[in-house]
Amino acid sequence: MKKILNSPAKFVDEMLDGLCAAHPEYYDQPEPRVIARPGGAVKGKVGIVTGGGSGHLPVFTGYVGKGLLDACAIGGVFASPSAEQMAGAMRAANGGAGVLRLYGNYGGDVMNFDMAGEMVEMEDDIESTTVLLSDDVASAGPEEAEKRRGVAGMVYAFKIAGAKADQMADLAEVTRVAQKAADACRSIGMALSPCTVPEAGKPTFEIGEDEMEMGMGIHGEPGIWRDKLKPADEITGEMVERLLADMPLGKGDRISLMVNSLGATPPEELYIMYGKAKQLIEATGAEIIMPLIGRYATSMEMAGATMTMCKLDDELEALLKAPAECAFWQV
Amino acid sequence: MSNMTVDRLRAAIGKIAVQMAISADELNTADGKLGDGDIGITMNTGMKGLAGIADDLPDDDLGMAFLACAKEFTRVSGSSYGTLLATGLMSAAKALKGKRKAEWSEVSSLIGGAIEAMMKRGKGALGDKTVLDMLEAMRIATEGLDDSAEILKACDKAASETMENFRAKPSKLGRARMYGDKSIGLDDPGMLALRRVIDGLV
Repeated sequence: MKKILNSPAKFVDEMLDGLCAAHPEYYDQPEPRVIARPGGAVKGKVGIVTGGGSGHLPVFTGYVGKGLLDACAIGGVFASPSAEQMAGAMRAANGGAGVLRLYGNYGGDVMNFDMAGEMVEMEDDIESTTVLLSDDVASAGPEEAEKRRGVAGMVYAFKIAGAKADQMADLAEVTRVAQKAADACRSIGMALSPCTVPEAGKPTFEIGEDEMEMGMGIHGEPGIWRDKLKPADEITGEMVERLLADMPLGKGDRISLMVNSLGATPPEELYIMYGKAKQLIEATGAEIIMPLIGRYATSMEMAGATMTMCKLDDELEALLKAPAECAFWQV
Repeated sequence: MSNMTVDRLRAAIGKIAVQMAISADELNTADGKLGDGDIGITMNTGMKGLAGIADDLPDDDLGMAFLACAKEFTRVSGSSYGTLLATGLMSAAKALKGKRKAEWSEVSSLIGGAIEAMMKRGKGALGDKTVLDMLEAMRIATEGLDDSAEILKACDKAASETMENFRAKPSKLGRARMYGDKSIGLDDPGMLALRRVIDGLV
């Protein structure tokens, strides 16, 4: 393992300390492993919380910010936060108008977040709702769409729900819009090389020097196929095709397209992919607005990319374009 | 006749904690055959945690006492089995909120409520060869009973019978499911853990 760290056990906490030290205007750590907006919850505004394992920056913690999330519970690398930490995040986000739990569809996270919801309901009288992201089309077929994992699509849901909450909409409205955004997203990933979880000390999977894997999950969950590395246009073509198979587009449709690095893949390669993807999507008659290219949801130093389509209507487009800011993203 | 009170809960926690320290290795070994081998650690650290907060449990509210137990259990034991047990405790907490004491005749329905909540959270079903099957046997066995000693006796018997009945069946849930027919003949670690909890109380 070749990483800049002091000790694997301190990896997450030192990262969070550094994050808050660098950007005190965006991030505060009111209790260990809970990141919230400085100055506390906004009174009368629906709070939006997320949570999940470390190792995906800017997801999850990074998207705490104005017009985005109010608080986040963060676990060890690729490990779920505890229910207690999630309850802490919900308390930190509670401005008296209820709290939306908005996060990815992973078993451990769901169990703990449901538990946290019950805790704060009983102890603090906080009303809360849940919207799960399950945008990874490679993780289950359309007939089992509710089993799909949540990946980079959650960034769209954070942004859109965050904008709605900023308009002081009530919990039911913020939840509706968050669900609409979640339903509008489809993602697929591909990986070239693995990453190493500090406490494990060895790579999450092995892959040949000249190989790639299509459909791999952000924690190295097995994908659809593994073969020799293909040219960028072929890779992009298959990714777009798989997304369109799940969410067909036609004339008059508008989407935002995210081409996201899993960590090690540089923006240069992402732009090569974007160029081809734009061609293919416009060939359907659909229009791309607000393309997002860069590191939005990563898997430590994994090399590879994910592509997310978020289908927009007037309501979602306006919310996506509303002002928002965190240390990693400004709209 | 006696009632279920926070004091009785404290006494039970103490007894179970002692038993879990004794049984931790046995549970880890059983779990190692079908899972990740940490259920003994989960139970032992979980019960140690509860023993640590037992004195501070609120005497005037059984529900809040159960809630404190559920929270402590999830806090100290991160595993999914720990969260499931805490889910059961949480269900009891909701049912008992605001009550200083409860009738022993409520035990059966409290177990029923716990099963329902745990099934929902863990996506388990009866017959999967999990702790749920043992709880269901206990729920049935304690129906209509209003004496704590009799209830404990009924749970003890139900636990033994469930272990016997399910040993020859395959596991159908969680990591143990991956072992398929290899799980035949082995005790489910979650059931064994509850069996040892009852042992601690008897």
